[in-house]
Formats: sequence, C-alpha cells, structure tokens
Amino acid sequence: MRMLVYVIRRLALIVPVVIGVMTIVFVLINALPVYYQLVAAYGNPNPHDPCSYNPTCPCGEIYPGEKGTCPNPVYVRLTHLLGLDRPVYERYFVYIYHAFTFQWGTVANVSAVQASYSFARDQPVTKFLGEMLPSTIELAALSLIIILAIAIPLGNLGAVNRNRPIDQASRIVSFSGYAIPPFLLGSFVLMGVYYLLYSHVGFDVHTPWCPSGEVLYAFNGQSELTGSWPAAGCYSGQLSIATNCPTWLSNCLVSHPTGFPTYDAFYHGQYWLGLDTLIRLILPALVVAYGSIAILLRFVRNSMLEVMNLDYIRTARAKGVPESRVISKHAGRNSMNVTVTVLGLTFAGFLGGFPIIEDVFYLNGVGRALVLAAQPGGFDFGVIFGSTILFTYLIVSANLIVDVLYAYLDPRVRLG
Amino acid sequence: MAEAVDPSQVSGVPKRLGRRPSPRIAQLKRTWYFLRRNTLAMVGLGILVVIGAVALYAAVFLPNISWVQMPVMCATDYGPDNPLSGWSNSSTGANGPFTLAYTCTNVPYVCTYEVVPPPNAAQFCGGQWYKTPYSAQSFVSYPSAIGPTINLATLKGGPMPLGSLTLSAESSTSFYNIWPALLRGSDWSLIMSVSIVGIGATVGLFVGVVAGYYGGVIDDALMRLVDIFLSIPIILFIIVLIAVLSVTVRSVAIPPFTLAGWHYAGYTIVPELWTPLFTAILGFAAVWWPLYARLVRAQVLTVREQKYIEAAKASGARNGRILFKHIIPNSVYPVFIQFSLDVGTVPLLIGALVYLGFSQALLPTEYFPEWGTLAAWSVYDMQTFVLSCSLGLCVIPWWQLFFPGLAVFLFAVSVNLLSDGLRDALDPRLRR
Repeated sequence: MRMLVYVIRRLALIVPVVIGVMTIVFVLINALPVYYQLVAAYGNPNPHDPCSYNPTCPCGEIYPGEKGTCPNPVYVRLTHLLGLDRPVYERYFVYIYHAFTFQWGTVANVSAVQASYSFARDQPVTKFLGEMLPSTIELAALSLIIILAIAIPLGNLGAVNRNRPIDQASRIVSFSGYAIPPFLLGSFVLMGVYYLLYSHVGFDVHTPWCPSGEVLYAFNGQSELTGSWPAAGCYSGQLSIATNCPTWLSNCLVSHPTGFPTYDAFYHGQYWLGLDTLIRLILPALVVAYGSIAILLRFVRNSMLEVMNLDYIRTARAKGVPESRVISKHAGRNSMNVTVTVLGLTFAGFLGGFPIIEDVFYLNGVGRALVLAAQPGGFDFGVIFGSTILFTYLIVSANLIVDVLYAYLDPRVRLG
Repeated sequence: MAEAVDPSQVSGVPKRLGRRPSPRIAQLKRTWYFLRRNTLAMVGLGILVVIGAVALYAAVFLPNISWVQMPVMCATDYGPDNPLSGWSNSSTGANGPFTLAYTCTNVPYVCTYEVVPPPNAAQFCGGQWYKTPYSAQSFVSYPSAIGPTINLATLKGGPMPLGSLTLSAESSTSFYNIWPALLRGSDWSLIMSVSIVGIGATVGLFVGVVAGYYGGVIDDALMRLVDIFLSIPIILFIIVLIAVLSVTVRSVAIPPFTLAGWHYAGYTIVPELWTPLFTAILGFAAVWWPLYARLVRAQVLTVREQKYIEAAKASGARNGRILFKHIIPNSVYPVFIQFSLDVGTVPLLIGALVYLGFSQALLPTEYFPEWGTLAAWSVYDMQTFVLSCSLGLCVIPWWQLFFPGLAVFLFAVSVNLLSDGLRDALDPRLRR
C-alpha cells in the first residue's frame, strides 16, 4: 500500500516534466513558419493542389471564372484544426491535448525518411515511431545489461584494490570510453567486421556465399528499410511487396506479434534469424556500454569505498567472515543503493547517444528516425518533435522504474 | 630546498613573511598543492598545456597554412609495390591490382570489372586515380587515400606525415592533408569548446545563484525548468534546436550579426557565416546551462547559511554586493570541475553533429575546421572504404580514423583526468 502511494506520488511528479517538454516543443513549433507547421501536422501538400498550403490563391482555382485572390479554404480549415487562428493560450491547450493523445502529426514526404522508409508516406508519426520503438528498447536493454555486468564487478574490484594497478587500469579504460567519439568507435568496429567479412572469409563479388540468381547486397551508404549491422546479405534483386524489404532480413517475417525483432524471430521459430538479430545488436550495445560506463563505474567504486570503511564491515572481518563474503554480501549489497540511483542518470546519458549509434550501425530505431528526419534539405518536423517527446517518455519512465526499484531496495525511501 | 611542511597546517603552503594571502588565494594554493600530488591529473594538465601551445603556435605562426589540397593537384603513385604509395590489397596480401572501367547495374553496387596488371605509375587527379596510358577511361570510382608519407617527391601537395583524408561529395572530391588540418583545427577546437561551455556555464551560474539565494517560488520554478531541460538528451535537443533555428533564422535576419568580414587565420569570415556560427554556439549554450544551474544552486544553499553572509547582511550590504562579492566567488568551484569536464566533450559533440550531416546546415565546418569535424570526416571516408571493400579491394585507411581520433581523444582524456584530480583535490573526503 505504501508502495502504491509512493508510485503515485512519483507519477504525479513526472507529469509536469512531460508537460514542460511538450511546452518547449510547442514554443519551437510556433517559431516555425506556418507552412512547416502544416507540413508537420498533415504531411506534404497535395502535389496536384495549386493552392497548396498557401493562405491565399487565385480565385479561379476555387471558383472557376472568378478573378483576384481568395482565401484558400484548405488553409483556413487546417489552420483552424491546429488552432492557429486562435490566441496563443488556446493553441497551447490544443497542442498539449494533441501531444497527450499521441496526435503527433504526419510523416511528410520531404525528408530522407521518405527515401528510407517509403512505407511511412503520409502515415501518422505515432505509428511510424511505434514501429521503430521496439528496436530501440531492445538495444537499450542489452546495453544496460552489459553496463551492469561490467561496471559493478569492476567498480567493486577497483574499490577493494584501491589505487593499485587494477584500479588505475579500470579507471583509465572507463575514461577512455568516455573520450572516444562513439561514431568513430562504432565505425572502427564496423570496419573491422567488414575487413574480416570481405578479406579473410573471401566474401566478395567473385566468390559469393549467395545461391545462384542472388547477388551480394552490401552496405552502400544509402539506407534501406530494415538494414542493420552488417547490412550485407544475399538479395534476389526483388523486394517483397508486402513489407517492402529484402527477404533475408528479419523484419520480413509474416507477422510481428510484439514488434521486437529478436523476439518475433524466435516466436516464428526462425532461430537463426533471431540469433542473427541478437548478434547484430551486440556490437552496438558494446559500443554504447563502453561509452557510458565511466559514470556508473565511478559511483560504484566510491560508494563501495565508503561502505568498506563502515564499522559493521570491520565487525564482520573481526568475527572471521571470509573476505570474499564480506565483499559480496556485507559491502556489495549495501553499496547497491547508489548504483540504482545513478542508473537513471546513466540511462538518460546513453539514450542521448542512440541517434548516432543507430545511424552508425543501421539499426532502425527512434534515434535513426530522428537523424533521417533532421537531414538538412528536408526537415520532417513531425518526426523530429515526435521523437523528442518519445525520448522524454523513455527517460522519464526509466527514471520512474529506477525510483520504484530504489524504494523497493531501501525501505527508508518509501516510508520517508 | 623545500621547507618542511607543518603538519598542523592544512594547506601545506610554506609560511612566508609579510602579509598573509587572502583566503581565496590560500585555497587556490591549497588546491594546487593537492593537485600536484595527483600524477594522472598532472599528466592531463601536461597534455592540455601541449595542446594549448600547439594552438597558439598555429594561430600565430601558421596563419595561412594550407590544409585543403584542391583536386587539381596530382599525386603520383610509384606503382603498387612501392610502400610509399599507401596501397595495400588485403585479400591477396600483395599490393593490389588496379581496377579498370567497370560498369554498375541499377541494383545497388553490383559491379563487374576487369583487373589488369598495373603499369608503374598512376596519378591522383581530381579525386580519382588515373593511369597514364588509359587517361579518362581508367579510373577507380571510389576516392583512394594516401597513407602517412614524408616523401616530398610523392605528392605535389607537400609532405603528409599523417596521411590524407578524402571527402567526396556528389561530383568532386576534396583532398585534405591531416597534419596541417590538425594544426589548423587546434585553435578552433579550443575556442569553440571554451566559448560554448563558457556561455552555458555563465548562464547556469546566474540561474543557479538566483535560485539558491532567493529560494521560495523562484527556486521552485527555476529548478522545475532545469528538470525539464535535463530530461531531454543533450544531443537530441541540439539536433532539434538546430533544425528549427536553421529554418527560422534564415527568414529572420539577426541585425547584430551582420558584421563586416572578419579576418582570422587566413580566412575571411563573411557575414553569411556569422549567423550560422552564432546560432550554433547559442544553440549549444541553450542546452548547456541546466546542469550548471543545479550544481551552483546546491553550492549556494550551503554558502548562504555561512556566518560571513550574515555578517555582510548585518553590515548593510545590498543583495547585489552579497551575490557578486561573497556568494558567487565561494560557490564557483564545482563550476570549474564541471567546466573542465565539459570542455573535452564539445569536439565529440560537434563531431557527432557533423557525422549526422549538420555540417552544411548550421556549422560552416569548411571555415571552422576543428578536431571533431575532422574525425567525422574520416568516418565519411570509412564508408567509402566499405564500398571499396564490397568491390573487392580493401584499402584500410587506418590513419584517417586514428590521427584525428587521437587528437579528440587526447583532448577529452586530458580534461577528464584534470577534472578528476580537481574533484579529488577539492573534496576533503576523497583527499585522505
């Protein structure tokens, strides 16, 4: 019961943050010219409509035979729907209502999103991002697992062997992860993979692995629907019409019960595909983990150091508890609280790196959708703002989960 | 001969005759004393000093250094077996064959080509390799790169101790010499990092001081604002902000920025470049203040309860005087730590933005080359490498990734080590 009250209290604290982010987005949207606002909301104008999203147009286009300029009825109707003809505060409430009810606009035709995800043409942003979300969640979960599996033992090791070579080494390694640009590291890893793939295995155009009639489909600097690391495989030259993607990719399954690529592959009994998807996730997850392990490692080490100096540790040692048990049971368990607290911070930190990592490794997540939507030459503001709100939801809900976990571990929090 | 340290004196600074240093100077000396004993921090400081010296040297003595080598220059390749040529074909182990006149189908990059034994010389012109007997027909369609060489005869563009970096757009290929590019980029890296983080930190400082000092409703409102800003990932926010600004700013000319051309380091920065540069810096600064505000507020909350603030109030000091004379100087230390930490991440962030394709949108990187940008460009060429690989000819341009990456890495690591040392020196609990 106490727990429930606690969770509700935390939820009540989260809502203002979400509304605040929506407010920022609202301010940014209103800084845009009306044309971009309309495109963000309703997609590109009908190419056959000469009046397009213009406020006025020649009367002859609406009332044949008339002369002069008339107000464009389409423009009037759409701006009214968006609240653009009303005062700012009313427009604000209209926007907040739209944002909370997942009316995030339409994927426009202008951007690189269009070139990469042709199926997304004129779809609602929510639907489009919803299809990208599971991949992002899978990557985040895997990264988190790797970070925890490395940071906690290494931090404890560093605290136990304070200022010895192993401590310094772990600090330097984690620092270096913080200092290497993730796109550089990711590309370097990819380069190694390609090098192995093409040079040592003998996988090239002359000696293909592919069955006859199919050709090697390799990374080509372009993006395609479900391209993921390494974007190479056998390709019959035809796209499957139903899903509009090459048949060798895992997203070309008949149905997606959950949308999570790995899970769906196993669900359909496609074990090799599932394994393949999982393997494709591991390298980006490792790069993400390497980049953001430093903070958590530092906190684990410091909190472990603090705990190790407490009296009950000395007591445990004095009464003859083996050192390994002192570290794992007495100290380790109690230094976990700090770890859990910092976890939320870490999560927000590495989620920010997702646009880059997903772009480098060609994973179709929300981050990559954002990157494609924000390419100069064709901004897709519906997708841009939608993914901003979606990322906020992700971070906020991760923090909520962390807080609840923290309260579960430490009774003082939920009772206090 | 160093004097013996008086164990009762916390500072460890030897006593001098005459006036006692003011408490703040004493604290600085104390910090420096503890910092000096931290080997890693000193290593970081050393690297930073070297970087600063290089930047100063480049700005003063090499203002017109040329680092973009226009494709009109031809580089002669002395045959595939000559290691100076920077060629290697990994699949056979031997130096590789040149590819000739291949055709590609519309299915992406399915190409057929024939391989002929190479003659002794090939030329790099206009971003492509030409072989003398075949002239226009015999070219490889991906731009090749030249590895580190100090052989002056190899390249007309001068020695390339760190190799070259090629950047191919749709029609043309630029050809960058990495060593002068790194020299040229050093001062821009420092200037952009410090100014971006500096603006953000200053804004954050004032917001934090106001929130912490006045408390109450102001504090609550500002801190909720900080919470909101902190719940958007920083790079995502920058992307969004830059996307919006680059649409909006183009229609709204900002009068103060229409300055006359400004000359720096051989470049004339035309007014058209000012607006995007300032927008970029302001965009960065707009997302950088919340963390500082939170840090400073926490510090101010403890400082404002001190006796000397009370004394100042009792002696009739106004709020402004208390803020600027007492509160800010005494709560600025965490800002220094975070500042030194953040400065190192700016090249990484700019590099990420350039990697994502914002170089044209807002950052005119052609004119403001800095290390992150170079690192991002090297990755662009990596993608060409992958293409070359899929064509059956792997040339790994390791130098392109390694040297710009090393510059960014050393910068970030050195400020990291320094700020870690600062943290240890300023936090009595960790000091031992």
